[in-house]
Amino acid sequence: MTVASTIVNDVRTQADTLVDVRGASKTFVRKGARTNALDGVDLSVRRGEFVSLLGPSGCGKSTLLRLVGGLLEFDAGIVLVDGQPPAASRRQKQFALVPQSPALLPWLTVRQNVGFLTKLNRGAEGHRTPDEKEVQALLAAVGLDQFGGAFPHELSGGMQQRVSLVRAFALGAPILLMDEPFAALDEITRAQMRYLLLELWERTGGTVLFVTHSIPEAIIVSDRVVVMAARPGRISAIEDIHLDRPRRDDMEDSAQFHGHVSRLRTLLRDSHDAEVQR
Amino acid sequence: MTDTAVSTSASTRPSRVETVSGPQSPGGGGRALAMALAPVFGVVGFLLLWQLLVAALHIPRYQLPAPWDIVRHLASDPGYYWTNGRRTAWEAFLGFGLALVIGVAGGALMAHSRFVDRALQPLAVLIQVTPIIAYAPAIVIWTGFGLKPVLILASLVCVVPFLLNSVTGLRAVDPSVLELARSVDASRREVFWRLRVPSALPYLFAAARISVGLALIGAVLGEFFSGVSKGLGYSVKFAQSRNISLQLWGSVFVLALIGSLATVAIGALERLLLRWHPSQHP
Repeated sequence: MTVASTIVNDVRTQADTLVDVRGASKTFVRKGARTNALDGVDLSVRRGEFVSLLGPSGCGKSTLLRLVGGLLEFDAGIVLVDGQPPAASRRQKQFALVPQSPALLPWLTVRQNVGFLTKLNRGAEGHRTPDEKEVQALLAAVGLDQFGGAFPHELSGGMQQRVSLVRAFALGAPILLMDEPFAALDEITRAQMRYLLLELWERTGGTVLFVTHSIPEAIIVSDRVVVMAARPGRISAIEDIHLDRPRRDDMEDSAQFHGHVSRLRTLLRDSHDAEVQR
Repeated sequence: MTDTAVSTSASTRPSRVETVSGPQSPGGGGRALAMALAPVFGVVGFLLLWQLLVAALHIPRYQLPAPWDIVRHLASDPGYYWTNGRRTAWEAFLGFGLALVIGVAGGALMAHSRFVDRALQPLAVLIQVTPIIAYAPAIVIWTGFGLKPVLILASLVCVVPFLLNSVTGLRAVDPSVLELARSVDASRREVFWRLRVPSALPYLFAAARISVGLALIGAVLGEFFSGVSKGLGYSVKFAQSRNISLQLWGSVFVLALIGSLATVAIGALERLLLRWHPSQHP
């Protein structure tokens, strides 16, 4: 890359930055014991980018997700979302959260569950929300258009998680925060869910922060994979993923994919070894 | 559960893996009928046994009348039992309603604040463990005769189940759901009415089932002590003083009927409102 193109890239990166985290630190105190969940984390995410946070349990990836979403206060550093504090963005319904469990309301049907978050704090969002027809199309995209009137207990775990995904996309929020949404699913369902997620994302757009501890999952969904290490929680490396979009499952057999897998595995192992030695 | 209905592209038609309402009764029609009638067998069997024992042991009617005699007695004076039964049912209903309102309001305060919770828990236990029959006369002396002490006693006796169950129920919201609500900055009011109240409903129905019987106890007890001359409690007291065992048992039967009907009504409402709850699909 030439010097000129690097500069151009830098300028564009600055203008396109949607999430900007600088020196963020967070310590939890529990029963007198202090846990350094995050220590001086820097991260910037561009508008429209799909970024995964990859790392072992306790590396602070969920904490980082919650700092960005304005769900946790940080002790030090700066977090800006579209140039303002996360709490302000949260009040404007800029975030769509997908938790680890489907967290559906058992007394609402699938269609009512999908619309539930849109109905809360109505009118606070500065953006357009998908109308009924578009929401129905999202349900159809995950194969649930026949199940709009069903209750959550009538669905399997994978189907419930698909409802949870559609609920997030139905918010029309510019930023999607996903906290290991597929962790509780079996491996086969999980592999399919990745492509369903990508399909929804390609349909609606948006910037995604995706927490996972699965290397192949991080690679297949992301533009960039942020590798995190524990004690203290920090970013140890960032890997750019060069696979074309839209992603297809046959890409998982490509040499490029395997190259990413082995590099990420090494990065995770190195930071783990460093931690053990300390 | 398997999940084969996942389609990786929009063009693929999803195959339906699960029917929306699962069919039941694997044993066929006869078995289903037997299951539906099962609750009746216990009661009818008990009454038959009673009838036979009274006849076999030659128990005189003034000591213990047989069920059929009691039913015939009821049929001989339906107006009396209708009037007094309506009175007691109304008292119990009002007491139940008062307890529901006070219990849920108190429960909401307790669910909202740990301090209020800790402050009110011992009070709730005190109300629950102190035999109501012991302080019923004291309440009558304090509030005077008439309907007032009856309502106080009927509501006091069933307020604790509503109170404790609403605290538990209002707190029973999945933490992930609460976080989701926070992520879109839902107001406290929205969280209360849209998340907490529906979560509390199954707990409130459980309290209601317990409270039906308790409210009747409170109403009858109130009539015993408050000097009223209406209601089945009064009827029982009067019958005891005159040794009229048929009227005593007749009043008991009508009380049992009122309690049963109320329970059936609550069950029907529960099936309507809690279609989504695991308790409603065995």
